[in-house]
Amino acid sequence: MNLMRTNTAAEQALGMELPSRRDEEWKWTDLRRMLDGYRQVTDQAGNEADVERLIAASPLSALKLPRIVLVNGKLRSAPEGMLAIEPAPALQGTDPLLTMNSKLGGASISIGFSGNVSETVEVLHVSTGEQAIASRLHVTLEAGASATVVETHVGEGNYLHNPVTTVVLGEGAKLDRVKLEIAAHGSQHLSHLVATLGSSARLNDFTFTSGAALSRQNGDITFNGQHAAAHVSGSYLLKGKQHVDTRLVVDHAVPNCVSRELFKCVMDENARGIFQGKVIVRQDAQKTDGKQSSHALLLSEAAEFDAKPELEIYADDVVCGHGTTCGDLNHDHLFYLRSRGIPEQQARALLVEAFVGEAIDSVENEQVRDVLVALVHARMS
Amino acid sequence: MLEIKNLHVRLEDEHREIIKGLNLTVNAGEVHAIMGPNGSGKSTLSYVLSGREGYEVTEGSITFKGKNLLEMEADQRAAAGVFLAFQYPIEIPGVATMQFLKVAANAQRKARGEKEYTVPEFMKLVKARAEKLNVNQDMLKRPVNVGFSGGEKKRAEILQMAVLEPSLCVLDETDSGLDIDALRVVAEGVNALRSPDRAMIVITHYQRLLDYIVPDKVHVLSDGRIVKSGGKELALELEANGYADFVGKAA
Repeated sequence: MNLMRTNTAAEQALGMELPSRRDEEWKWTDLRRMLDGYRQVTDQAGNEADVERLIAASPLSALKLPRIVLVNGKLRSAPEGMLAIEPAPALQGTDPLLTMNSKLGGASISIGFSGNVSETVEVLHVSTGEQAIASRLHVTLEAGASATVVETHVGEGNYLHNPVTTVVLGEGAKLDRVKLEIAAHGSQHLSHLVATLGSSARLNDFTFTSGAALSRQNGDITFNGQHAAAHVSGSYLLKGKQHVDTRLVVDHAVPNCVSRELFKCVMDENARGIFQGKVIVRQDAQKTDGKQSSHALLLSEAAEFDAKPELEIYADDVVCGHGTTCGDLNHDHLFYLRSRGIPEQQARALLVEAFVGEAIDSVENEQVRDVLVALVHARMS
Repeated sequence: MLEIKNLHVRLEDEHREIIKGLNLTVNAGEVHAIMGPNGSGKSTLSYVLSGREGYEVTEGSITFKGKNLLEMEADQRAAAGVFLAFQYPIEIPGVATMQFLKVAANAQRKARGEKEYTVPEFMKLVKARAEKLNVNQDMLKRPVNVGFSGGEKKRAEILQMAVLEPSLCVLDETDSGLDIDALRVVAEGVNALRSPDRAMIVITHYQRLLDYIVPDKVHVLSDGRIVKSGGKELALELEANGYADFVGKAA
């Protein structure tokens, strides 16, 4: 430890050191500085009328899915009988966001799926007030099971939310996971996903990020069995001074697995988007097929996008690649739309919707996909 | 309907004058062909009419239905009735053709203070017009022009024209890249849109297209000016003798 280092209020309250820009993985998101105005864990339940309004206004409410509702880190309701809910196992790992989760405590729930579960399950997180909230979700799929889980984050206030999701997929299991980060504009969202895939398992993961002022989303995907596939995609739709940093590590620990990453990020005004994607191919992981791409649209001069793609390859018979693009809206596209009578703002919105649509297309559940498309459309109108 | 007087246009980036004093009057119901060699300013004229950025009008005027066209944005011109069929239609990934058509048609109607189409109304309208142009449902579902063949792109342009019902159609090298069968389909589509309320400007390098879309007037554009105007027989004369006679005069 640096002897000159003085713990910040946040560090003292949490009982841990926070990463700063001196740490390579956090160089764009200086958590030590950004959590400066730290919120105490005050254990506020939230005003009941506000909570009910937020639940009703949640974009997936119209779908009437079986829903687990967590309010300010506490379990509020869950569908009867259908799901086994029990505490999640203790977290392994030393990542700061996992440590934070253990320090803050909060609800810990575990959902297990077996067989083919056709009905999508939603886990709705509602957060309010000025407080630090943590929650923990553990999702397991038995061998051969398939399920779709949507995690929605909504709220109101200047809270900090630290949700951790762990996923364990058995042999041949298939999980479609969709996450909507449409948290309160003044909030900080610090999430971590840890997923391990058994042989022939398949994870199809999509994250939409548009809410919080600060959003740091870590993902660790590890292949434990051969012939598994992970498709991880996402889109950002940011404006104002929003700051979103995704750090994703896909670890090909075994041979014959496929990973695909596609991120389509839109930044307007002074927003800043960051994508750090690392693909590790271990020495034994021959025949790995890994591709990663991130594409950014900057809608204003002050908007910024930083990408840090990394390939760490120790095997010699693999197909791996990455690509990043960053630019303004295509002027020829804009002119073509306008020449057909579409006003400039509407033409820009149409092109932005098409841009993020490519990532949203990876969501297999049509109803959920339609909700996402409508959400993007509403934010662009 | 359209009156262009002493038009001078230069490229904003290069400060190079492309159109150097062009005069043209097009009345409702007329089809005018503009012919000329490469680099004579044909495409520039089409872009200036449709309001593309990057072209600076340094002198002259364009009046469309009594209004100053140059003061209008591209989308306002479209709503007012100007349509450009592109020489190279732009591919727009992620925007389905049907959705694009509906957004465009309703944006124009809204701008004109007309009632917007309902979904069933619009589907019916597009279906009827698409059939005549051999545009199938699959094409309408695909993103705008993405993966379309040359012929499909041009048919899609004419379909847009048929759906948007403009009063001034500007066809920029609509024949380029088309084989004779595709040309016939496109020309039939254009001819079906001829009406006493609608004017057309057909820009072409070759006379071939004018066998199918017979113009009322033919103009020869050379070095940014119209150097000769005549009836449809002028096109045949050009085909036989080439542009050399006129290009020489303009120099």
